[in-house]
Amino acid sequence: MSSTEDSTAPTPQGAGRRPSLGSLEALSLGRYAGVIVALIAVAAVLTITQSSFLTWDNMKNIIAANSVILILGLGATFVVITAGIDLSTASLMTACSMMLAIAFKSGWALVPAVVLALAFGAAAGWGNGFLIAKGRISFLAVTLGALSIWQSFSLVVQEGQTVSIFSEKAFNPIHELVTNSIGPIPLLLIFDVALILIFGGVLRYTTFGRSLFAIGSNEEAARLSGINVSRVLILVYTIAGLAAGLACLVSVGRLTAGSPTPDPNLLLTVLAAVLIGGTSFTGGVGGVAGTAIGVVFLGVIQNGLTLSNVSSFWQGIVSGSILIIAVGLGVLREKGWSLRRARGANAAVTEGPVR
Amino acid sequence: MGEENKAPLVEVRGATKTFPGVVALNQVDFAIRPGEVHALTGENGSGKSTLARVINGSAKPDEGEIYFEGELTTIDTPRQGLDLGVVNISQELTLAPTLTVAENIFLGRLPTSGGRVDWGRLRRDARGVLENIGLDVSETAIVGDLNVELQQMVEISRAFSSEAKLLILDEATSSLSEAATRRLLQLVTDHRDKGVAVLMITHRMAELYAVCSVATVLRDGHLVGTAPLPETSERKLVSMMVGRELDDYYNKREVEQGECVLELDGLESEDGVLRPTSLKVNRGEIVGVAGLVGSGKAELGLVLGGAVKSHGTVKVAGKEVKLGDPRRAIAGGVGFVPDDRKRSALLPNRSVAENFSLPWMRRISNKGILKLQKERREVSQSIKRYGVVTASASNAITTLSGGNQQKVVLGRTFELGGDVLVLSEPTRGVDVGAKSEIYDLLQTAAEDGVGIVLISSELPELLGLADRIVVFFGGEIKGEFTREQMEEEAVAHVAVTGAHADSEEPNNETEGIK
Repeated sequence: MSSTEDSTAPTPQGAGRRPSLGSLEALSLGRYAGVIVALIAVAAVLTITQSSFLTWDNMKNIIAANSVILILGLGATFVVITAGIDLSTASLMTACSMMLAIAFKSGWALVPAVVLALAFGAAAGWGNGFLIAKGRISFLAVTLGALSIWQSFSLVVQEGQTVSIFSEKAFNPIHELVTNSIGPIPLLLIFDVALILIFGGVLRYTTFGRSLFAIGSNEEAARLSGINVSRVLILVYTIAGLAAGLACLVSVGRLTAGSPTPDPNLLLTVLAAVLIGGTSFTGGVGGVAGTAIGVVFLGVIQNGLTLSNVSSFWQGIVSGSILIIAVGLGVLREKGWSLRRARGANAAVTEGPVR
Repeated sequence: MGEENKAPLVEVRGATKTFPGVVALNQVDFAIRPGEVHALTGENGSGKSTLARVINGSAKPDEGEIYFEGELTTIDTPRQGLDLGVVNISQELTLAPTLTVAENIFLGRLPTSGGRVDWGRLRRDARGVLENIGLDVSETAIVGDLNVELQQMVEISRAFSSEAKLLILDEATSSLSEAATRRLLQLVTDHRDKGVAVLMITHRMAELYAVCSVATVLRDGHLVGTAPLPETSERKLVSMMVGRELDDYYNKREVEQGECVLELDGLESEDGVLRPTSLKVNRGEIVGVAGLVGSGKAELGLVLGGAVKSHGTVKVAGKEVKLGDPRRAIAGGVGFVPDDRKRSALLPNRSVAENFSLPWMRRISNKGILKLQKERREVSQSIKRYGVVTASASNAITTLSGGNQQKVVLGRTFELGGDVLVLSEPTRGVDVGAKSEIYDLLQTAAEDGVGIVLISSELPELLGLADRIVVFFGGEIKGEFTREQMEEEAVAHVAVTGAHADSEEPNNETEGIK
C-alpha cells in the first residue's frame, strides 16, 4: 500500500478556497438564510415602529437578557449534533448558581468559587455522559432524571431561599463582567463572542468536533472507523455541564443572587434556539453560528414584543409559533432536497443514524 | 413460449421524467406481458429505478402515457399502483422493525374478525406464507432482531403473498446469499407460471439469465434496446449497458505471494455464531470466504474488524492483535469494510471529504487539532486514486451513486495502510462498471503486499478473484478450494450442505474445530 509520505507533491488548491473542507458548511449557510432574512425583516419593522429599538442601550439589553440562553445553547448544540439532547442543562445551571452563591456567601474568594461552580457543572455533565455512554441508558431518561434532580437540589440546599450576594466583595468581578463595558463594548458581549469562537473552533478544527458529527450522523460507522464513541459522548455531556457552569456566572451576575427557581421557559428557549439555528435533532448536522443566530432571533422577537407593550402572556404563543414555522420550513426544504437527491442521482436516500 | 403474442399488462409510451439538473428518463417505451419475467438493466443512474417508480406510482412522468391492461391510465401514488396489482420489492427495506414477522407480512391487510385483529389467524396465515416460501424464521420473531437478509426475505414474503399482477423486484437480491437468491428465483418462476408479470431490476447476470426471457437496457435515461434472452450474450448485454466493450471484468492478475500476514488460531465470536476457526492468509493473497447467511462468514468479518467480542488468537504480520474493539483492529493493521454500507459505513449527511477521512483522524491531526490542509490534500489524492466520481469533495456523500459511495468506503480503508484487508460484500449494490473498478483496486492492494479476506455472497466474484476459497457452514470452515479446484457447483455444494459433493473426508482445513 502506498503510504502517504511518498506523496511529496501536494496538489496546490485554489488559494481562494475557504479554509475548511467545507463539508456541508456551504449548505448550512443556506440553512441559516431563512432565519437571517426573517431576523432582518423583524428588526426592520421594529426599527421603524419602535424608536427605542435600534439604540445601543437596547442592544445591550438584548445581549444581557440572552447570554445565558446563548451559553447553554452552545453546549446544547454539541449534544444535539451527536443526535442526543441534554434536558438537564437549565436546571443544572440553577444548581450551579446556588453553589456559586453559597460559596460567595461563605466567604470564598473569586477563583475558588468560580472553579467550584464550573467543576460542579462539569461533574454533573460527566455523570450524564457516563450513564449514557457506559450505562447505555437513553439520553432522554438520564437527562430528564437529572433535570428533576437538579431542580430539587437547588431548592433543597437553602430550603428554597434565594441567596443574595450583592454585598459580597469577592462577587464584584462577576457583577462587573455583566454590567461593565470596554468603551462602548459590553464585557458580556466579548465574553459571548469568545465562547462562540471557542465552541465553533472546537467543532471545526478538532478531531473531537469532527467526531461529534460522525457519531450523530452514523454512530456505528464512527465506531467501526476507530472513534472512541463512549469517550466522545462522555466528553460532550461534560462540556454541556461546563456550559451550565459558565452560564450560571452570567445568571448570578445579573441577579446578584443565586435563585433556586429558574425561568421555566429557559430550557425550551435554549432548545428552540438550537433548532432554529439549523442544528438537526436527528444528529450529524449543525453548528454554533446557527445557534447564535437562533438566540439573537428569539431575543429580538422577545425584545420587540416588550417594546411594543405586548403582554408577556403573549410571548410564548409568538415564540412557539415562530419555532414551529422555522423548523417546519427547514423540514420542507430538507425533504425537497433529499427527494431531489435520491431521485436525481439514483442514490441511496438519507437515513437517520441507527441508535 | 408465445408470450410475445399476449397483450401487454403494462405499457409505457414516451415516458420522460426530469429532476433538477438531470433527465432521468428520456422518451422511453416499455412493455411487459403477463407471465413474462422481464429484466430491466443498466448502470446506476441509467434511469431503471425511475422507470420502475413510474410504473409503481411513486414517480409521476412529465410526459408519456401508461396503459394498464390496454387502458390508458395514470398511476399517481403507490396506493393506486397497489390497487391495480403492482407490487414493489425494493432494496430499501420498508418493514416496521419493532413488529413481528407475521404483522409485517400482513401489514395493512391484517385479518380481522368483528373489527379486532384475529391474531390466531394472522399467525396461521403467516406460518403458511413462510412455509410456502421456505423461509425458516418464526412468525413471532421481531423483524428488527433479524439480519438484513432475513429482513429482505420477510419483505419478499410479504410481496409474494399478495395478489399481484406485476411484481417489481428492484435489486431485491442485493442483500441475499446464493441460496436465498435461488429460492427467490424459484418463487419468481412459480409466479410467472401462474401468469404474473415480473419486472426484475438487477445487475447480476447469472440470475438475469436464469429466469428472464427478455431484457430492456437503459443508459443515461435512454432506451438502448430490448433483447431476447438467453439468445443475447452476456458480453453483448454488458456492452449495451456501458456503451462500450468490457473485457472479462474480474481481470484476475497473478500476484506473487509473500509470507503469512494473517494467522487465526481458534478464533470464535463470543455469541458463538463464529465457531473456533483457524486460517492463514499470505501477503498478496486473496482468500475468498463463501457461505450462506448465518454460516458465520459475515461474523468472521465482524470479528476481524473488532466490531464484536471474540476469543482466540490473531496474529497480523507476526504480532498478536487483541480484537474486540475496532480501534485495536485498526491499530493492529486490519482494515475492515462492513457489508451494510448505509448502516455501518456511511455518514449520510456529511460530505465526501468527511466520509473519506473518517478513519484517518489520528493521521490528519496533531494533538487533537485537525490539519485541514493535509486532509484536503489527502482526500483529493484519494478521490483520484480510487476513481471516485464527484464534482467536489464537499458534496454530500448521498449525491454519489452506490458504486462511488463504496469506492469512498474502500478507499479510506485501503489508505489506512494496514497489512490485512477484510472486505465484507464489497460490491453489494454496485453497478457493473464500478464493480470492475473495485476488483482492480482490490488486486492493486494485493500487489502491494496486503493480505485480503474477501467475504462475498456472490460466488462468481469469489471464483473470479480469489486465490483460495474457504467455505463456511454452521459457523465453521467446511471446505477449502485452491484456484485449480474451484468450481461453482462444488463450492456451492459445501455452502449448502456443509460437505463436499463426493463423500470424501473434508480436507485438513477443519483442523481448527475442536
